[in-house]
Amino acid sequence: MSAPPPIRRRSAGEWARANLFGSRLDTALTVLFTLLLAWVAYRLGRFVLVDARWEIVERNITNLLVGSFPRDQLSRLWAALFVLAAALGFGAGAFGAQRRREVAEGRAEALPRGGIRRLVPLFLLVAVLLWFSGTLEPALLVLGAFGVGYGFNLLGQRTPRRLERYVPLVVLAGVLAAFLVVAAFGGVGWNLWGGFLLTVFLAVAAILLSFPFGVLLALGRRSSLPAVRAVCVAYIELFRGVPLITILFMAFFMIGFFLPEGVDAPSLVTRAIIGFTLFTAAYVAEVVRGGLQSVPAVQVEAAQALGLSPFKTTTRIVLPQALRAVIPGLVGQFISLYKDTSLVFIIGLTELLAVAQNVTKQPDFLAQGLYVETLVFASFVYWTGSYWMSRESQRLERRLGLGER
Amino acid sequence: MTAATASTTRRPPFWRNVRVLRVAFQAVFVVAVAGFLLFLLDNVVYNLERRGFPTGLDSFDYLKQPAGFAIPDSDFRSTQSLGDALLVGVQNTIKVALLGIVLATVLGVLIGVARLSTNWLVRKAAAVYVETFRNIPVLVIILFWYLGVMIRLPPIREAVEALDLVAVSNRGIVIPWFDQVGGGAAFGVVALVALAAAAGVWVWRTRRFDRTGEPHRRGLWAGAVLLAVLAVGFVATGRPWTLDTPEVGELSTSGGFRLAPEYAALLIALSLYTASHIAEIVRGSILAVPRGQAEAAGALGLSGFQRMRFVVLPQAFRISVPPISNQYLNLVKNSSLGVAISYYEATKVTQVSIAQSAPAVQAIALLMAIYLAFSLTIAAVTNLVNRRLTLRGRA
Amino acid sequence: MLNVRVFRTWTLCVLFSIVVVLGAGCSLGDDDDNGGDDAANTGATENGEAAGQAGGDGGLLQQVQDRGTLRCGVNDAVPGFGFVGEDGEPQGFDIDFCKAVAAAVLGDAEAVEYTPLTAEQRFTALQSGEIDVLIRNTTYTSSRDGTEGARFLHTTFYDGQGMMVRADSGYESLEDLAGETICVLSGTTTELNLESQFQALGVDYTPLAFEDNEPLQAAFVEERCGAWTSDKSQLAGIRSSWPEDQGGPDGLVILDETMSKEPLGPVVSDGDDQWADAVNWAVIATIQAEEFGLDSTNVEQGSDDPEIQRFLGQPVEGEPFDPGLGLPTDFAVAVVSQVGNYGEIFDRNVGADSALELPRDLNALWTDGGLQYAPPYR
Repeated sequence: MSAPPPIRRRSAGEWARANLFGSRLDTALTVLFTLLLAWVAYRLGRFVLVDARWEIVERNITNLLVGSFPRDQLSRLWAALFVLAAALGFGAGAFGAQRRREVAEGRAEALPRGGIRRLVPLFLLVAVLLWFSGTLEPALLVLGAFGVGYGFNLLGQRTPRRLERYVPLVVLAGVLAAFLVVAAFGGVGWNLWGGFLLTVFLAVAAILLSFPFGVLLALGRRSSLPAVRAVCVAYIELFRGVPLITILFMAFFMIGFFLPEGVDAPSLVTRAIIGFTLFTAAYVAEVVRGGLQSVPAVQVEAAQALGLSPFKTTTRIVLPQALRAVIPGLVGQFISLYKDTSLVFIIGLTELLAVAQNVTKQPDFLAQGLYVETLVFASFVYWTGSYWMSRESQRLERRLGLGER
Repeated sequence: MTAATASTTRRPPFWRNVRVLRVAFQAVFVVAVAGFLLFLLDNVVYNLERRGFPTGLDSFDYLKQPAGFAIPDSDFRSTQSLGDALLVGVQNTIKVALLGIVLATVLGVLIGVARLSTNWLVRKAAAVYVETFRNIPVLVIILFWYLGVMIRLPPIREAVEALDLVAVSNRGIVIPWFDQVGGGAAFGVVALVALAAAAGVWVWRTRRFDRTGEPHRRGLWAGAVLLAVLAVGFVATGRPWTLDTPEVGELSTSGGFRLAPEYAALLIALSLYTASHIAEIVRGSILAVPRGQAEAAGALGLSGFQRMRFVVLPQAFRISVPPISNQYLNLVKNSSLGVAISYYEATKVTQVSIAQSAPAVQAIALLMAIYLAFSLTIAAVTNLVNRRLTLRGRA
Repeated sequence: MLNVRVFRTWTLCVLFSIVVVLGAGCSLGDDDDNGGDDAANTGATENGEAAGQAGGDGGLLQQVQDRGTLRCGVNDAVPGFGFVGEDGEPQGFDIDFCKAVAAAVLGDAEAVEYTPLTAEQRFTALQSGEIDVLIRNTTYTSSRDGTEGARFLHTTFYDGQGMMVRADSGYESLEDLAGETICVLSGTTTELNLESQFQALGVDYTPLAFEDNEPLQAAFVEERCGAWTSDKSQLAGIRSSWPEDQGGPDGLVILDETMSKEPLGPVVSDGDDQWADAVNWAVIATIQAEEFGLDSTNVEQGSDDPEIQRFLGQPVEGEPFDPGLGLPTDFAVAVVSQVGNYGEIFDRNVGADSALELPRDLNALWTDGGLQYAPPYR
């Protein structure tokens, strides 16, 4: 067998000639874009480092992160962060170990590890937040959380095989525990959460709650029963055809009217969650529908040949395969939700964007045109989170695509 | 074996009969859903009546009441009805949506193609653009363009006037526009004649191409004929159109065509945001065209540009129609965020109406119906385009 | 192949945790941290007991007392009246009256859950029972009393709509604003008043109506609009914080003309007279206290004057006086000692001790030529 062709390394000059100056048009474009990019970078750099007055963000960093959360209960948030770090670290470690074992057994293909580069956007976000907070304490606490996460990661890698199936349960229990640490035992109900905390909470709550609903809708849409299909199609088309802001208006103005006599009207945050859930369920249904379509009909036929009831076919054969295929789509939907939570600014909830706008009205900062600084900060927070998640989603997609099929 | 065939002809009992079960289940399902919806409706009606709000079909009579608020940049008077106000709002939505779709498509296609360019710098620049705008919420982009750019233009007293043609200030960007001074009807006739002539030339060149194989350049020919006839007709009918240049006054500008800062900010933000999504779709669809096509085109001696124009892009276009129409729909829905910067599109008008005592339930329901109408229209047009493309592909 | 058993466990875990979160959240989500109160335990029972929406059922007073917190709809954007300080705590004139009601009904001025509302949401929130009382610089008008199903209580602040312009603009009266763009907050009486006033004057103008104060303020700063119209008290608040590099407070002028009457006061939902009376008298108590010369420093000392004794709930000839409002007999003491009298509330938030430095003017006591007049407590 002959050796593969040798890879000739190109020198920098050759690379530049090929990629930047390939033709006259190419050269012109390179020059033009170099000037353009240099100008943009200069203006941006000058704004961020020189012109901008970041004091408004520094003084209000806690406001931006947690809104009106009672300041004397902040320790609960830190505790919850540690719990989350432990749970997620553990899950990541166990999952990674499982993956490595599968690769070693030849059941899956190895992916480039990516390593620490994957976490760069997250690190960037944390670094900027810590820099704005100014004191040493948060930095130490964050470092501690990372340490805990890493420790539990190592622990997770040592999970014995027969306990592997309980790992998702443990992770979920950890997330739940983190929530309870903040909200229960005399804690702070979600009505008082604000800022970035509320942004993340709204997104997570909506995606978790809409998921079962969306799956049911998708199954209903593919049903052979015309009545069921009609209802599901009507729901999906209705909620996908109207802007999210109108659904939020509807939730805000009208939920109280939908409730019967004697039931307390839910709080603002609850209404927002209901609105987001109804909206997301329709999109999740479409994503899951794609996944259901991707399951080969052969699988269903084989299940029928084996005598499985329709219910068993769906739950044991079709759904597991379909849902695995739609995980990237679901993550994409979560990313959209993460960005769409900014809309509650229009209805008066104080999540990150709303706080960023509100702080420009404080007496010390009034009328000084500082809204650009706060908007840039909010954009940065949204951007890092969204960018990081979409990169992870792409990785996940490749991982699942090359996987056990 | 024969013993089994006897049992297959016997009907199963009705509680195991699939047909019966299907009907029964559907009946139960419909009853449950209808029951739930009726329960909700009942609550709504009861609660509305208790508070003294109108219910029933005549509750939409609020649309006939005078609005009490004015809408900037339009002829709407506050004494006109709320229904008229909503119509103005819908018009504004269409204004921003149509232009936004055009701009987003042009920009999106350019950037999508740029992402696959052979030039490394262009590729990276396009990638940076897409990654930036895809990951920031559209509301943030809108607010940034409004608060950070549009109202930071010079105030009206220091408005910048370029060559006496364009006036830029934070009360609007004004460009010269046409002003009708003479007989419009005559020019209308001229325009029709010009169009007919252009169409005729188009057909003639195409026929000639079919016959002789010479490059038809029908676009150039038809365009030239159109402009020539229009120019002659313009002079012949006594120059019925003049150029209206903007004048900068103390408090506002007059003349010309004015782009309000709210409109401009919304338009630019929506276009930039949607363009980044369209760029990704275009890139994906170009990559989905089998590589063999481009290679075969290369083998046949087509240049890079010709390869794109005649082989790759047409096939990519077919794949990209459904996702791009989805983005158009998103743009229309995102235009509802004009409510945050006081652009009077449909949602803003509805909000203001509710604040001025229109019943909330009916007003929001009407607004949702309007957006559904937009969705259905775009979906219908997409289906039409899709169907035409499929037929072409098969031939 | 994906292990079906793992998958099943997974889905069960997800569904289970969703149920638990919903359950926990529903019972805990409506809590307020009552610094010391066992809020988590009472949370589960509260929702069972707290039946009935505001208005039409009666019994809101009892509900609030059972619940242990007052739900107050407020503004978070108006300096002096309702805004959020850097420490995340709401402060202001209206906030103090929320505290006064809480002190009267619950005995604890801090037992309040504040809900910031936009101008458009405020009445719907009140009608749907989401808040118990709305104290959010809301103007008392006939249509609000009628169609909006609202009941207005004693006016706490007599205000009027005004117009604010830059000092260097040279505008001196409303007629000078012909052709100008005027910024206004959407969903308020201000918008309607502006339109009707300028129609009556025959002056042409362009309105720019924003949902929130932030873009409005930005538009005014950048001279997108040349004038800002709102209640004079709000304009004064903004003017007082105007930065030096924009000319400071002297860089802005509030025109003399008052475009409308804007009596501001607390609002409750129609139909529950007992609750309305309770809130009303909690507010009136602050004015009566100032008339008597009682303030937060001396109210607990009591008095020999039988009128004052009756007011403070001290026994007069044996029994303390109970007017049958459903409030504790010494509610006035709680209100004045924890929050202050009307004068203290005014000075602290919008008057001499605040950045706004508004004069008492119409809001002085009737004995000083103003309109604040407490009905007798007997």
